Amino acid sequence: MHLKDYIDLYTLLKGDLSTRQERRTFGLAHEALTSRPLSLLKAWVDEKMRTRQTEQAGEKVAHLLYHTTLWLTLLAFVTGIFSGIGLLSYNGHAPVNLIYFLALVVLLPLVTMTLALLSMLRAKRARNTLVHLSPAYLMERMALFFTKKEDLLTQVEINPMLLNWIVIQRSQLLALAFSVGLLLALLGVVATRDVAFAWSTTLQIDAAAFHRFLEFVALPWRSWLPTAVPSLELVEQSQYYRLGGTLSKEMIEHAAALGAWWKFLAMATLFYAVLLRALFYLLATWGLKRALKKATLALEGAEELLRDMTEPFITTSSMEKTQRGDVVKKGYGRIQEALKLHYDVIQGWAIPSQQLSLLCEVMEVSAPVCVEVGGNNTLEEDQHIVAQSSGEVLLFVKAWEPPTMDLMDYLEALSRQAESVTVVPVGTEHTEYKPKESDQAVWTDMIAKADLSKVWIT
Amino acid sequence: MKQTETKHPVFAVVGHPNKGKSAIVSSLAMDDSIAVSNIPGTTYRRQSYPLKVDGKIIYELYDTPGFQRARQVLAWLKSHDVSADRRHEVVQAFLNTHRDDSRFHDEVELLTPIMEGAGIIYVVDASKPYGEECEAEMEILRWTGQPSMALINHIDKEDYSAEWKRALGGYFQIIRTYNPMQTDMHQQIAILESMAQLREEWTVQVKASIEFFLHYREQMLERSAAAITRLMHQALSHVERLALASENANEDDKARLKERYKAYLRTEERTTQAEIERIWHHEHLHAEITPMGFEQMDLFSEESASVFGLTRKELLISGATTGAVTGAGVDLLFGGATFLLGGAIGAVVGGVGAYVAFDELSEVKLLGKRLGKRYLEMGPMQNRNFPYILLGRILYYTVMVAARSHAKRDSLTIAMDSTFKERWLDEKVQKSLEKYHKQWRSGKGMDDEMLKSYEALIEKILKKLMEEL
Repeated sequence: MHLKDYIDLYTLLKGDLSTRQERRTFGLAHEALTSRPLSLLKAWVDEKMRTRQTEQAGEKVAHLLYHTTLWLTLLAFVTGIFSGIGLLSYNGHAPVNLIYFLALVVLLPLVTMTLALLSMLRAKRARNTLVHLSPAYLMERMALFFTKKEDLLTQVEINPMLLNWIVIQRSQLLALAFSVGLLLALLGVVATRDVAFAWSTTLQIDAAAFHRFLEFVALPWRSWLPTAVPSLELVEQSQYYRLGGTLSKEMIEHAAALGAWWKFLAMATLFYAVLLRALFYLLATWGLKRALKKATLALEGAEELLRDMTEPFITTSSMEKTQRGDVVKKGYGRIQEALKLHYDVIQGWAIPSQQLSLLCEVMEVSAPVCVEVGGNNTLEEDQHIVAQSSGEVLLFVKAWEPPTMDLMDYLEALSRQAESVTVVPVGTEHTEYKPKESDQAVWTDMIAKADLSKVWIT
Repeated sequence: MKQTETKHPVFAVVGHPNKGKSAIVSSLAMDDSIAVSNIPGTTYRRQSYPLKVDGKIIYELYDTPGFQRARQVLAWLKSHDVSADRRHEVVQAFLNTHRDDSRFHDEVELLTPIMEGAGIIYVVDASKPYGEECEAEMEILRWTGQPSMALINHIDKEDYSAEWKRALGGYFQIIRTYNPMQTDMHQQIAILESMAQLREEWTVQVKASIEFFLHYREQMLERSAAAITRLMHQALSHVERLALASENANEDDKARLKERYKAYLRTEERTTQAEIERIWHHEHLHAEITPMGFEQMDLFSEESASVFGLTRKELLISGATTGAVTGAGVDLLFGGATFLLGGAIGAVVGGVGAYVAFDELSEVKLLGKRLGKRYLEMGPMQNRNFPYILLGRILYYTVMVAARSHAKRDSLTIAMDSTFKERWLDEKVQKSLEKYHKQWRSGKGMDDEMLKSYEALIEKILKKLMEEL
């Protein structure tokens, strides 16, 4: 996963319309990557980008940052060379004060590396002053300002922690390039010119103390490269004072030995400015990689995308739209407000004779013939009952049972035979045989839909 | 019979019209788009509801129209004198003969999946007395020779299940009670386990589906917790800005900014509610929310604060505790030389601060005075009570939506429940939440790890609430 992929993922997630099913299909096609979320996201980005023709934001930003970094690195390298040459320039009157050089290759790296360490520890903070004060950050802002490409970076919202790590890593790279430049300058100057090194300071430091300090500085290599550690004698011979404007006799006598300092300076540069810095660069690169991973997973929608790709896609609903039967609601003209006391025939649809008698009692209706129809009767039995029916027929039906076509067929046959048929939907004993309004409405609608001329409903 | 052709178990939910077949399928398939009503003939065609995992069908449910001319079908079947082992052939012959006969449209629709190998789930409504008219239906189903079970549904309160069980016992080996209007995972699993018993070769797959159902529920819980966390993060860390045209901000500008800030929070809440509905497959719910329900209880109303938020006393304690912890840090710094005054002062300042700022959402700041461009700024949320109100409301909404059966088609009435807070917010949970709320108040933002642990906390709360249902 690179910065380019991070930005592409950010852009893709902003406008992604893929469904869960599509995401899961992709996840299944890349099942081997399930345990590696970053690789899975990268594969997803690659897949999506393949279909895009134009250069995307990730490519543009990565391109811009690469070139900015390249130019800044070259600049730092060249600056390192010129700084080295400047510091080692020997005008023939006074020797080169190696304390300047030591400050640049030991003190400055140690101070800046301490600051870099602090920046790394505080990289999570969006407003990291140390990062914003870093020369790499300031140089980059200037470069972007002059190339008028600042707008490109404002188009994408890069995670502040990631931005901090980018600056930290770049700072280390620039410092490394600068240090390499310094080292090359030292080697170049030493090889091509006769440089007399000496040390001079206003501070009350005698040669022995300075020697102890140098031995401490040379600690990393003094055991295996003793020639790169200046001896006390050399330190004593190299001290000079500006007062008088002339060199001491002792120095002039040992002029040849003064050049021996270069090994120490080269090792100090190599260890403090180059190797330690390279270590910091690796540390920053590791930090950047980690930040990139964290920032990628923290992108809005990334977690959901991963979840969609890795979790089983479970569906339970139908892909087809539910088809509803036509429900026609219309008014019905043949409504019987009250029941008569006597009918020619009373029938109960799927209502056994005993219950039918009870119903007749409750409803205060009577008839010479009370008979059960439907229910367990055979079709032939019902046909026979229809054939026997005449005059006014009262048909009790269970209100809670919606009218089936079986009943409608029977009703049609009955209405052909009888003078009139009155359908009475009844409720259960819990409701004292009164039908629920909704059940009554269903029955009225069904009877209205059948529209049989002799059929009435209560 | 084509039962060998179908590799996954198939079940046809059949019965007399209006006995709740579609409601049962709706509930088992967690699909609120199925037409469910008390009007007969609502289901006109058979419709398949497969449980698919990554495109693979684990089992398939068929919703079917009810029997319309059962006695006529049975008469047709009985007119063919065959031995019991060949009865299913007669049923198949009936289908072949009447496939295009509109009179038997519903019977053809419901018998087709059965004759293709589906197990039978016969639904009755035991809130109504047993009726003889069902016997023809049960007899036809017996003729198909397919494994079957009966589901006793209770559409109304009355209970006639004893008489139904006696009657069904003559036709079905497995009889279970199922109320599709209740979302009870255990009930659902029990039905699936019964379905697994219908045919030996289906057992493994139907049992696997139970695992998937449980996993699916976990997924829904996780996604709900993620959505709630997102809401809390966006709402509490939001900063609303209003650019000023004039030199100084007047009261109108401040009021306008406050209204915009509130509008943002309301929109975020509604967006998350919609997401919760989508997660729990209640996409058709929103339009049916009763107008006098939750929607009318505004996020910033006193009612909301009293039902979901902390009381002044609880806020006082919460503020004092946070202040005391900060003050104790000072005491520790001085090695106890402050005689614990730091803690005491911190508690007083924190407590009073929380008490006084009970109704204030956030400070309105005038920024950019020296830079030339002036604007008013409000946020992030400073009110200690608001996070509890917002969280309480969305948790309540989630629980209501998750607990709602997919078979229900009435409006979702979200009534006030003053006991809800007690069900999830105890002292320990409040302490855990306060840590995050404090982070949001500070405006420092929340890193990914913190958000993850907050999400885990929300998921835990949600699980607890669901278990109590």
